[in-house]
Amino acid sequence: MRMVLSKIVRLVVVLFVVSFLSFWFVKLIGGNDDLVAKMIPFSSEQEKDRVRNELGLQDPFFAQYGHWVGNFVTGDFGQIYLGAGDNISSVPVSETVAKRLPVSLELMLYAQFLALFFAIPFGILSAHKASSRFDKATNVTAFGMLALPQFVAALLLVIFVGARWGWLPTQSNLPNFPLNPLDNWRFMLMPTVALALAQIAIYMRLLRSDMIATLQEDFITTAKAKGLPTRRVLLRHALRPSSLTLLTVAGLNVGALIGGAIIIERIFKVPGIGGELAEAIFRQQTLEIQSLVVLIAFFYVILNFGVDILYSVLDPRIRHARAVS
Amino acid sequence: MPEPSAEPGEEIIRSLATDERREMVPPDAASLQIAAVEAGPEIAGAAAGRKRLGIGAWLAAIWLILVIGSAIAAPILPIPDPKRDSTLPELSSDGSLSVIAAAPSLDHPFGLDASGLDVFSRTIWGGRASLIIGFVSIGLGFLVGGFLGMLSGYFKGKVGGFIGSLLDILLAFPQLVLAIFVVEVLGHTVWFVTFALAIVATPVLARITRASSLSWSEREFVVAARAQGAKHGRVMLREVLPNTLPAMFAIAILSVAVVIVAEAGLAIVGAGVNPSVITWGNMISAGQADLKASPHIVLAPSLVIFLTVLSLNYLGDVIRARTDVRESAL
Repeated sequence: MRMVLSKIVRLVVVLFVVSFLSFWFVKLIGGNDDLVAKMIPFSSEQEKDRVRNELGLQDPFFAQYGHWVGNFVTGDFGQIYLGAGDNISSVPVSETVAKRLPVSLELMLYAQFLALFFAIPFGILSAHKASSRFDKATNVTAFGMLALPQFVAALLLVIFVGARWGWLPTQSNLPNFPLNPLDNWRFMLMPTVALALAQIAIYMRLLRSDMIATLQEDFITTAKAKGLPTRRVLLRHALRPSSLTLLTVAGLNVGALIGGAIIIERIFKVPGIGGELAEAIFRQQTLEIQSLVVLIAFFYVILNFGVDILYSVLDPRIRHARAVS
Repeated sequence: MPEPSAEPGEEIIRSLATDERREMVPPDAASLQIAAVEAGPEIAGAAAGRKRLGIGAWLAAIWLILVIGSAIAAPILPIPDPKRDSTLPELSSDGSLSVIAAAPSLDHPFGLDASGLDVFSRTIWGGRASLIIGFVSIGLGFLVGGFLGMLSGYFKGKVGGFIGSLLDILLAFPQLVLAIFVVEVLGHTVWFVTFALAIVATPVLARITRASSLSWSEREFVVAARAQGAKHGRVMLREVLPNTLPAMFAIAILSVAVVIVAEAGLAIVGAGVNPSVITWGNMISAGQADLKASPHIVLAPSLVIFLTVLSLNYLGDVIRARTDVRESAL
């Protein structure tokens, strides 16, 4: 319990520093007036002044920060300013986030599932037949996959599967999952594969190296000597102790996938958070970029915190190691 | 003291995933990539036992020399101009107008891009910025991150804890998001992108150095040096550093590959170097507009990035396998 408490304190500190640094960094470099002029370049001076007032850019720094963080924590992530001349309208960032976050989560879930689905059997088999021809071929393939950047995989898919052979749609709106699950999957298939390819190689190689170590243990020799079928030895006896590293990494990796998803969402025009970030960059909405970056970082930190707590509860080894140290 | 395991990649993963002292530090994308490259010794490991380098290492080295050499020599190479002031299509050798975005031909081995510029020549010129970004940012990250990681691994107490929590804050951002943010706020020049990626690379390199220097700092010869009265600085420089350096060097080479990919990723998202500068990422980003009709514009730089990353990964793996005391002693 004390451990969890100290973790929560740490979490709050990290969240505070992340938000403060992001805010300070934009203020330090961005300059107040430039920021508004950059976001709505074609608006009239009056409107620019109105927006400056609305943002409270005249207030002292800490008042601005307090205001911003207060809004942020209560779910107000600021506004996106649009329009020209005297017609400047604004859309809350939180509305877009609410629409787009589920899409990103869906993509990450699919990618994670696909990666594990392929990585686990290949990892087990190549460890079982270590140094065989199959193992070598799998490893060389995995080594190649690690060198293949996600965006190259994505572009290859768009060029061949999407454009040249026309098997899957590339430029359409994302069909709603509950209404039309099949079309939704057809849309999501390519982004998922592009995102999962590198993860397959990573998970496979990690599982393989763990599995090889486990297969040299005495209890495996015992199991084999008892005459158990190989399949049972591999799946029942060897897999569970070997999969801890893999599962830890896979769990924590959900957060790490966010980075890759930005590029993939951009290439496939997936309407997720990453795609929104890329659009905000394109429209030079510095404040929206700031909100999204902090939001993604918060999400990432809190997710990792949750996974971390979960593992220390689930895994006796980590729990024990903590108690000792 | 952690038991040295048979495979360095496994060791890195252990230290990332099940480190008892792990507090808020998740394995980041780059460390995972590096660990996975190092997790299986089979690829380059076969060459480690022999005195001579395998053919793969030679191929990788030749490719890298070719890419780096041609990037340096780009101004004096007999290749078409990668940028032209006029956007008029060039006359080809037989007097006819060369078609804009033409497919690869003998005259233009990688074809032409959407404004009629030679893609082969642009790929060579693009290597200049991309390679500078890759090597300089890792050079910076190596110096700063290596120094911080070594300090925090050697002085485990308060100093280590302080540096550790400093790095944790940087690691709290997803890597690409942090790079995007820094570039967006600072500006889209080659040096700011390099700087942004150096900021991202520093905690990764620091964390891996820390793991290595932690285990070396507890070896008998280091304790012996301390017992003889050697100062901390001297022990770190003379005893710990030479032992951590080979592994660090291998990891730095792998990281260069990660950064080259990151530059292209930034460009695709629109947070890379200003589009007027030729980089591999900018070529891919611009070529995306016309994927269906002329995929060669995107495929040429993609292929070069893939082969460069493959070569760097392979060489990093070879260096690691050859300098690894445990393996070469067998």
